Amino acid sequence: MKERLAVKILSMVGTMIIMSILIFTLVELMPGDVAQIILGMNANEQSLTEMRSTMGLDRPAPVRYLEWAGNAIRGDFGESLYLKGVSVSSLIVRRGFHSLILAVAAFLLFVPLSIFLGVIAGTNERKWQDKIISTFGIITMAMPEFVLGVFMIMIFSVKLNWFPVNSTLEIGQTIFENLKIIVLPALSITILMVGYVSRMQRASTVTVMNSEYIKMARLKGLPRSYVILHHALKNALIPSITVIGMNIGWLFGGLVVVESLFSFPGIGFLVVQALKSRDIPLILASILIITFVYIFSSFITDMLYAYLNPRIRYRS
Amino acid sequence: MNKPILEIRDLSVEYNASEESVLALNKVNINLYPREILGIVGESGCGKSTLAYGVMNYLGKNALISGAINFGGENLLDKSDREMDHFRGNKIAIINQNPFTSLNPSLKLGKQLAEVAVFHRKMKYKDAMELSRDMLISLNLPDPDSILRRYPHEISGGMQQRICIAMGLMCQPSILIMDEPTTALDVTTEVVILDLCRNLVKQFDTAIIYISHDLGIISSISDRIAVMYRGEIAELAEKDELFSNPQHPYTKALINCIPRHGVTKDQKKLATIPGYITNRNKHDESCPFLERCKYSSSEGCINNYGMQEIIQGHWTACSKVSIAENEVILDKPEPRIIGKQDEVPLLNVENLTKIFPSRSKKYIAVDDISFHVNRNRVFGIVGESGCGKSTTALCIEGLLETNGGRIEYKGEDITKTWQKRSGNVLKEIQMVFQDPARSLNPFYTVEQIIGRPIKVLRGIKSKIDRRKIIIELLHKVGLSEQYINKKTSQMSGGERQRVAIARVFALKPDLVICDEPTSALDVSVQAAVLNLLVELQQETDEISYIFISHDLHVVNYISDFVMIMYLGKICEFGRTAEVFSPPYHPYTEALLSAVPEVGGGSKKSLIRLEGSVPVPDGTITGCHFHTRCPRKIGNICEREIPPKVNLTDTHYIHCHLPNEKLEKMESVF
Amino acid sequence: MKLSKITIGGIIGIVILAFWIFMAIFGSMLTPYTHVEMDLVQKMAAPSASHILGTDQLGRDIFSRIIIGSRSVLTVSVTAALFSTFLGILVGFSAGYFGGKTDEIIMRFMDILLSMPALVLAMVVVGIMEGTSILTLTLVISIVFTPRTARVARSALLTWKDLEFVDAAKIRGESHLYIMFMEIMPNALGPIIVEATARIAYSVMTVSALGFLGIGLQPPTPDWGMMVSENKSIIISAPWAVLAPTIAIASLVIGVSLLADLIQRRLINE
Repeated sequence: MKERLAVKILSMVGTMIIMSILIFTLVELMPGDVAQIILGMNANEQSLTEMRSTMGLDRPAPVRYLEWAGNAIRGDFGESLYLKGVSVSSLIVRRGFHSLILAVAAFLLFVPLSIFLGVIAGTNERKWQDKIISTFGIITMAMPEFVLGVFMIMIFSVKLNWFPVNSTLEIGQTIFENLKIIVLPALSITILMVGYVSRMQRASTVTVMNSEYIKMARLKGLPRSYVILHHALKNALIPSITVIGMNIGWLFGGLVVVESLFSFPGIGFLVVQALKSRDIPLILASILIITFVYIFSSFITDMLYAYLNPRIRYRS
Repeated sequence: MNKPILEIRDLSVEYNASEESVLALNKVNINLYPREILGIVGESGCGKSTLAYGVMNYLGKNALISGAINFGGENLLDKSDREMDHFRGNKIAIINQNPFTSLNPSLKLGKQLAEVAVFHRKMKYKDAMELSRDMLISLNLPDPDSILRRYPHEISGGMQQRICIAMGLMCQPSILIMDEPTTALDVTTEVVILDLCRNLVKQFDTAIIYISHDLGIISSISDRIAVMYRGEIAELAEKDELFSNPQHPYTKALINCIPRHGVTKDQKKLATIPGYITNRNKHDESCPFLERCKYSSSEGCINNYGMQEIIQGHWTACSKVSIAENEVILDKPEPRIIGKQDEVPLLNVENLTKIFPSRSKKYIAVDDISFHVNRNRVFGIVGESGCGKSTTALCIEGLLETNGGRIEYKGEDITKTWQKRSGNVLKEIQMVFQDPARSLNPFYTVEQIIGRPIKVLRGIKSKIDRRKIIIELLHKVGLSEQYINKKTSQMSGGERQRVAIARVFALKPDLVICDEPTSALDVSVQAAVLNLLVELQQETDEISYIFISHDLHVVNYISDFVMIMYLGKICEFGRTAEVFSPPYHPYTEALLSAVPEVGGGSKKSLIRLEGSVPVPDGTITGCHFHTRCPRKIGNICEREIPPKVNLTDTHYIHCHLPNEKLEKMESVF
Repeated sequence: MKLSKITIGGIIGIVILAFWIFMAIFGSMLTPYTHVEMDLVQKMAAPSASHILGTDQLGRDIFSRIIIGSRSVLTVSVTAALFSTFLGILVGFSAGYFGGKTDEIIMRFMDILLSMPALVLAMVVVGIMEGTSILTLTLVISIVFTPRTARVARSALLTWKDLEFVDAAKIRGESHLYIMFMEIMPNALGPIIVEATARIAYSVMTVSALGFLGIGLQPPTPDWGMMVSENKSIIISAPWAVLAPTIAIASLVIGVSLLADLIQRRLINE
């Protein structure tokens, strides 16, 4: 077990290092010149060269990568080009925190809901409960997150006027003073995720319910409800952990779009803004953080899966 | 006889599949008496499992059931699912084929045992756990406390099945149904389960319905036997009566198609049953065996068949008892002369070793073995799962890379994988695989399947020429021309295996490796395939087979030489007759003692292997069999690799047993 | 395929898909406007006889823009799905077939690509390619989807790879290519086709999401996602301008998903 953990941690760190190189390379390949962005279109060639050498941009890419990575480990991502004088780290921390709250809210909603719906559908295979839940799943899965968001805005903001169209914060306001702005984005993500995760949960429940050991448990004369609760549920939930873990990536993609739709001050919206304004240090930092959080959550999923599944736990 | 505890009356079960309905059981009548073991035997698709689950009233929603199952004065078929909970696991328990899939992988065995008592006996969990422990003790399972704390995957297959039996017995049911409980197990484990079953009846006062496709097992364990065919009982009688006086043509054919009592290919051709089982539909009122029966006459078999009691307790569904000649059971041997030339070596294997890497350790599947195969001979390899017999085959075939040793074919070194072998070697060494459903590509037609090797290895480019050869081959393996455009998914198992054999013989090979070629097939089909293999060998008179099987009867029937393997090592080698008679290697002796014999025929020695099978990771010292050997003589077995002891020119064993002990060894039979 | 076994959902899916294909090809004949033409008199006009789906804030006919948009979205998604499936088969088959170290290295690399959310990866790659055209967008989506299709192709191959007909092909000396593509692939195609269909739906979603974020196809090419974001600010006064592209996207994705579901049932479950 310990050995396994060590291997997993090593491979996680390895993936993070490779990803950081990849991200750096990709951003490096983007058109646009930092010096040009800072000095503006009218800068002459000489001042551009001077700028490049003061910023160290004329050094080879591997050197700049090492410097960037070294600073990043210490939490220093430099200054934003677009919002001059603002440190990237402080932006990331603030926006990241908002996104975290949003993700957690969505997570707390969609995980229990989709597991519940999936188990109900799976234990009632091909009955009306299953048909309703599965149809609902197909429809919500097919809706891009901003489409769902638009419908929500139409209903809850335009018609009912319960929530704001834009989830912006006033200057100086913390997110806890305006929790209302989380509701619609969180709901959009929830509905999107419920469709997919409940479908997966249904599939694993059906597999378990049709398994030989469930049949045997019933043939031992154990009541159906007991069999579902004590025999089926645990085995049916184990694969869901992986499914949910895998979909954290989707959740993040969803965050980017949903945050942009609602202009929610989170890290997803920040990435889009950074990309549009070619704010290189900000692009690097925000994408790196999103990727790292994603890799880390996959790692946690893996560990949780191994812990709950005795067949893996005991394999030395 | 006393009063039956279970009466099945006119039980019919019809499944409504998407388009056609299938009659799985048709008016089955049978009684089960207290403390008897009722054996139910039949080939796949005969309805024996449907009968088992029918008794539990657990057949799924698309089953239309009629008739009655009377138990304790009540008809179980009238009970709702909820009411059935009171009977299932409590009054009637069931154990099925695969213990590993029947146990919940994520629950400890203790809980899975105890919960039965918690529900049916309203016990406290702690008391139920105590009862589970007592149950394991009474079934002689070693170290019950640790078993209760384990998960299913942490114990061996044989142990898992014993846990399932313990689970079935928790509430002392009056009926225990066992559906192929040993099919997934090795012979030496199987015999332990069979002993256990015999004791259960005395110890727990339980009646057992024992279901199996294996006539040997059924005859060794049952008091009464019901032979089933296509959803009906063909014949029902006490065991001895059934084997000494079989009436129904199907029963006779079934008994005759199994190689038994040491019969060999020189003595007798196996009886076969032409055709194969088809689904029965409810409008079909004729005798279910009609199409395949050699005594069928049009009128009687359609209108006038049905169960009759011919002697007290002996029922048969065939009314033509008087006409059916009784000599069928004795089926006069048709002596066959098998080529008798000199022994000329064809394949020489020296110090072959194959190691599979596994996580942290290694797994030595084949451990430094040497043997040779002669021209125009059948070389049998026998052993239980994990003994390395298939790995040996794959190495010879070039499908696995070896880790040491040398394979020589016609004097040429062929110790290399298939990519590096010459077309000629590839063409001459062929293989028949175990399961034709897996060895024939389902995407292609028979013509494409057989034609491809002819094109690639025999270089016959013309499609018309190939077609001619294919048709000829199909006739040779007993299939008509019409099969040429069929896909294998439309065929039965026996037909598929014939196609696979045709594909092999299309190349005119010199050496054919048959890896369990009949174990995925029903016995009646097995006989036909064995006959075919023997015929093809006789016809060409220059083919050698390496015949791999776990079935000692089959190997005894077809082989000229036999090699017995255990955990990657050779235990014994010799002419078939030599290996199957004393002196034996202790493992051979145990295997022979474990094999159930069709028609009773009690064994003299009852050797039961205890102890665990070690993992061959290179740490086993001495003889690989020492952990389980009943004839272990002392430390020497644990320390020193047993020497090769030549008993005759052609017969040797690897064992430490001194000569005087070997000489005193008695025959198992 | 027996007609009687087609589900209601499947029929709906096929009808929706046929509708959009028809619209993409012949739709422009049904409207007198082009997608860039601005009707300065009727800005933000509600749906009427002259503009069936109304106009946006620049007075452009929404129906015409939806039709022209359907062309790019269909082209990109279908091509990207096919191309990523093709790449996935190449990558997944070589990894699964050769196994061992080859498999480990290839799949490890795919895992690394997977460790970035698809949309974020697409955004970065789009960022590299200046000026997004239909071609670059197709390429980006294909690349982003390849690790996913490769996984499906690999596992489809693995279910057949260990079957003995593969051994039988080896011992008659067939080449690896023959075994992969002539022995295994015809059997393994089912789940790959299902995945390819599902990938069309994911492509539609990704194209629209990128369009919505303003990093997809560049104007004047109308893009459904872009139309949603352009008109988001007038959602209160002219909701049709947002609703029309929204419904277009949703219907197309649902149509493709229902079709994928039908294929799945036909090819795999039964």
